[in-house]
Amino acid sequence: MNKQQSILNNSVENPEKWVDLYGDYLYRYALYRVYEATVAEDLVQETFLAALRSLKNFQYRSSIKTWLTGILKHKIIDHFRKKAKEQPMDDIESNINNLDNLFTKNGQWKIKPADWNANPQKRYDQKEFIKILQKCLSELPVRQASAFILREIVGENTKEICKILDISTTNSWVLLHRARMYLRRCLEINWFNNSYERE
Amino acid sequence: MFNCKKMTYLVSESLDRKLSLHQRMGMRIHLMMCKFCSRYQEQLLFLCKTARLYSESIENSDLSIQLSSEVGKRIKESMVRFLEKHK
Repeated sequence: MNKQQSILNNSVENPEKWVDLYGDYLYRYALYRVYEATVAEDLVQETFLAALRSLKNFQYRSSIKTWLTGILKHKIIDHFRKKAKEQPMDDIESNINNLDNLFTKNGQWKIKPADWNANPQKRYDQKEFIKILQKCLSELPVRQASAFILREIVGENTKEICKILDISTTNSWVLLHRARMYLRRCLEINWFNNSYERE
Repeated sequence: MFNCKKMTYLVSESLDRKLSLHQRMGMRIHLMMCKFCSRYQEQLLFLCKTARLYSESIENSDLSIQLSSEVGKRIKESMVRFLEKHK
């Protein structure tokens, strides 16, 4: 019996082992996609139960960690699907963040993108970046935040995102554009503390 | 000629699909001439790349983030219950 098999068999007898070995990793994985501790905890629990249910499908080609992560990824996508279903569709066009204020009536920059290179060490503060990204994402309408996370962090293509969020292709481009534009500005204000262009 | 507002939309769209030749040419010319749209593009790329990179690396590096012992216990109990039911 190889090491993986023995861990697997051991887990069936003793699921505590599984939670101890992979629980924290899976929790971090979920947390950096759903950004809500209670949701992440529930997703980890669902993942372990789903894994027990489909134990016989486990392929010894992959590691247990990879297999569990794959299940968790599906659970995360389901989470976004459910969340979008609960939202009225009008958040696609929602402009609550006043992005139009960044431009003049003629579509020229009014609030110009600042020079982030003025403060280069900021760029490498990983924990701070994640903290601010999380705060900024929480200010976005649900579909905009979901589209961004699915595209940029989960790594889905727009075709899949349209299916998950039940939207058209054009809508997906609009959502991603609005999310990126807001996040860029939010990062500029909160991370670079540079709310205007200094020329 | 595209204005800056339209350009920000194209810059974002170019991350998700292949733009038409006309759009690509228009974008290239505009970005060559417009410092702020060119900066916008650079920052958007940085935002997307960094969001991905940092989220992925934190899974392996930020070990201070853990399941609380109560939640761990709750999950273990639910697994034990499941196994008893499906013996």
